[in-house]
Amino acid sequence: MKTIKTCLLGAALSLLSPLASAAETGFSLETVDPEADRLALQAYYQKRFPGVPLEDYVNGIYAIDPDSRKQWDALMEFPPYEFDLEEGEVLFNTPFANGKGYADCFENGGIGIRQKYPYWNSEEGTVKTLEQEINECRVENGEQPLKWKRGDIAKISAYMASTSRGKPFEIDIPENDPRALQAYLDGKRFFYTKRGQLNLSCANCHLQGSRIYIRADLPGPTLGHPTHFPVVRSKWGDIGTLHRRYEGCYRDTRSVPIPAQDEQFRKLEYFQTYMSNGLPVNGPGARK
Amino acid sequence: MKTTGKLLAAALALTATLAQAQTFEQVFNEQRALYGKGHEFTFEGQTYTTLHPEELEAMAEPNRANAQALIDSADALRAQSAEVGNEWRDPARYIKQARAALAQEQFQQAMNLAARAKYQARVSLQQYEHSRATWHNAVPE
Repeated sequence: MKTIKTCLLGAALSLLSPLASAAETGFSLETVDPEADRLALQAYYQKRFPGVPLEDYVNGIYAIDPDSRKQWDALMEFPPYEFDLEEGEVLFNTPFANGKGYADCFENGGIGIRQKYPYWNSEEGTVKTLEQEINECRVENGEQPLKWKRGDIAKISAYMASTSRGKPFEIDIPENDPRALQAYLDGKRFFYTKRGQLNLSCANCHLQGSRIYIRADLPGPTLGHPTHFPVVRSKWGDIGTLHRRYEGCYRDTRSVPIPAQDEQFRKLEYFQTYMSNGLPVNGPGARK
Repeated sequence: MKTTGKLLAAALALTATLAQAQTFEQVFNEQRALYGKGHEFTFEGQTYTTLHPEELEAMAEPNRANAQALIDSADALRAQSAEVGNEWRDPARYIKQARAALAQEQFQQAMNLAARAKYQARVSLQQYEHSRATWHNAVPE
């Protein structure tokens, strides 16, 4: 009888142990701890790539792969986004037909605010991104919205990011609105969820797969991922937004992509940018 | 102390036993990977073949009704995977190709394509459930 009891207790212990360890990771609304997540992610990378300063992660793969860094340093002698940046400034300062401009829609005239995006909007009950508010500004002033992924919206966003360079990201998750924490958790779940025929999650390539070859590509680390967007990618041949990249990643897993600025992608951006809190804005950037 | 030791030993033994036991799916996938489709194997005393259920469905008589039924059932599963936000790239393509084959009365071709779509849609739903239950295991502590 005693042996049976022992075995039953042992069985219960072995079945409960995965739940106990899962609870520590914070994967429910009751247990999720964004700050613990952020520190755990930093610790993961510090252990994985010792000696790389945290602030250098804003440079993506170039922070952790010396060979790629040499090529990138050469590329950055004439940054490929400079024309886009200049055009973005002109677009930002060109008044709408009604005489108003982007500066009228944003805090501080839209200057030096990139580090606060995305943010949780309690009134609307949703995550708002910078690109989303650029387009909302246009619509409110009688202009047509811009396409989400490339072109003018990326250029305007690039200019706005440039005015925040050096400012540390300060993404806030308001404690008085549990929907914000839920949005963060949804974004976190999205990041770690496998999808597509290739059965890959964002984390497979950009956490465990950081600096591990996928054919000829070296995926960058997720820490610091959103800091340098919008980016000019050599593969694209032009400037694009973070959500353009998200959509590309989605396709790479052989999934049917969800559209740019979809709520799921905005939550993902909320999670990812929170992970980079404290790191400086360095957008726009240039990548392979 | 003695009881705690026994308890831990029992837990470890049970965990090891659970870890070693192969499911039907694992055995099927292993046999399929090793020998391809149509190979016979035994699991817990029963004989099976390494054919997916959809491949068995595609072996039905190639006619319009069977092809249409297979396309419809494949599209229903694809729609389910889209509903949960986990639709894979190819099922919709295969279904489109299957419909084109059916329009040209290439019934076997239509059934083969629909079976492929249905298999992928089914596995995408399995992936969705599995990933929902296990995603947290990848989060750094």
